[in-house]
Amino acid sequence: MIAAGSRELRDDQVVFAGLGIPQLAVSLAQRTHAPRLRVLNEIGLVDPHLIELGVGNADPRHWYRATTFTSFLDVVGMLLHRGVVDVGFLGALEIDQYGNNNASEVARDGGGIRRFGGGGGANDIASHAKATMAIIRHERRKLVEQLVHNTSPGYLDGGDSRKRAGLPGGGPHRVITDKAVFGFDEETHRMKLLSVHPGVTHEDLRESTGFPLDIPSDLALTPPPSEEEVRLIREELDPNKMYVSAF
Amino acid sequence: MAGHGRVQEDANNKVVSLADAAALVHDGDTVALSGFACTRNAIAFSHELIRQGRRDLTLSACVFGMDADLLVGAGAVSRLIYGGGSLDRYGAIQCVNRAYEQKKLVAEYYSSLGVTFRYLAGALGIPFMPMKSMLGSDLLKRIKEETGPDNVREMDDPFTGEHLLLVKALQPDVAVLQVQMSDAEGNARVYGPRWENVEATRAAKKVIVVTEDLVPVDIIRQQPELTVVPGFRVDAVVHVPYGAHPTSLYKCYDHDEDHLKLYVGKARTEAGVAEYIDEFIVKPGSHMGYLEKVGGLATLSALKADPILGY
Repeated sequence: MIAAGSRELRDDQVVFAGLGIPQLAVSLAQRTHAPRLRVLNEIGLVDPHLIELGVGNADPRHWYRATTFTSFLDVVGMLLHRGVVDVGFLGALEIDQYGNNNASEVARDGGGIRRFGGGGGANDIASHAKATMAIIRHERRKLVEQLVHNTSPGYLDGGDSRKRAGLPGGGPHRVITDKAVFGFDEETHRMKLLSVHPGVTHEDLRESTGFPLDIPSDLALTPPPSEEEVRLIREELDPNKMYVSAF
Repeated sequence: MAGHGRVQEDANNKVVSLADAAALVHDGDTVALSGFACTRNAIAFSHELIRQGRRDLTLSACVFGMDADLLVGAGAVSRLIYGGGSLDRYGAIQCVNRAYEQKKLVAEYYSSLGVTFRYLAGALGIPFMPMKSMLGSDLLKRIKEETGPDNVREMDDPFTGEHLLLVKALQPDVAVLQVQMSDAEGNARVYGPRWENVEATRAAKKVIVVTEDLVPVDIIRQQPELTVVPGFRVDAVVHVPYGAHPTSLYKCYDHDEDHLKLYVGKARTEAGVAEYIDEFIVKPGSHMGYLEKVGGLATLSALKADPILGY
């Protein structure tokens, strides 16, 4: 997932990437094909270069060697809302087939809801980034037909409904799971499979996806990470497996 | 003229005790908190609000941390205006989430930029800010239908016809700002990123600064670009050490991993958080009592920040 995320990034892009897999994908891209990638953080940071993984965006370990210490209004307002952010990474509790994203709460088995912390700037990223990439574990209860809470809109009901709602950003570009990589149909804006990771069967994909899935018979295999990518992740970017082990 | 600066400083001296500053917050007030997840939380100040038994507060912030979680856990809060919150990798804001699930408070839940824009309008003294976040989302749907129908409107831009969301100005009764350095008037310096501190303090009716270091104004004048709130906008200055513990204060001290883990364990249940509040907030009776309770100098000096790294 880290390597698949990294490969979607281009040099000179301006990227919003939170803690965990997105942060590692960005760091990997910076160490390989995109050294001039600029990272923003909603807390008010531009282009930090950390030497030690911390516990979150609010951990000063993640502020190390930034070029700018500024404000939420500057980064999320005057850069993101202004429309200059190329890619925003999003985590998700649930995603539906139009890339709508729940970052708020899920249904409890016995009824009621289980509340998570809330999306923070996730809705702002989904609303304004030129493209978003979501990273999610591939499970039936996570890739769902109907979200409990549409915190961060993707293509809403598909077609041109996102545009009609007045949302300026480009919407979802990729959904990367531990089993596959998805893109979106240009007309219907439904999620579509682009590649399946080596070792994952089509049957497995169908069973672990909560909405109907078209699986083309000639579906490509996701290229596995190179030896150098694996080495960078294991030895340099996350040597203590703080985040890699989470998936 | 020798001594001139000192005379001026004395005339503008707003330094008061933690207890006197907390007494500026009244039951039912809206309080803007200054922390972000695990960093620069107004912990000492929140403890004192709990000791004084404040009730029916509205708390606002882009991203809540442990101070909000404690105040909710203590039953001091009836309303939230926020975008999210966490204790970073240590865990969720469990008291806030539990109160939300059990509908024990009204949670006006925005995108974090939505909260910032409400402060910004309040800070500028204009009635609302137009924005293009939250359109089409369930965030907006719930605010419109349930939690804050008077605080949002939708309209078309009179110039271009584009669809817009308007968020209403928010002017909190009090903004609490935990900082690294301030002078006695309240010219307060923040090291590191400032998230929504500038907009929140400008929007607020009263500003309370809690500072690690209290310095003469001449120190502030040496690097005025680091000042985030002008002293004349500040109502009270509180000088206490480790006022953000167990969250971090950049360039002063790191977060306290052991204590955060202890808190997260306790906050899993209502009974646990009540025990925590009794043991660490009520029984110690003061901020100095709390600092002794969490381990005193042995614990605190181990958290001191490295001057190069800042943590």
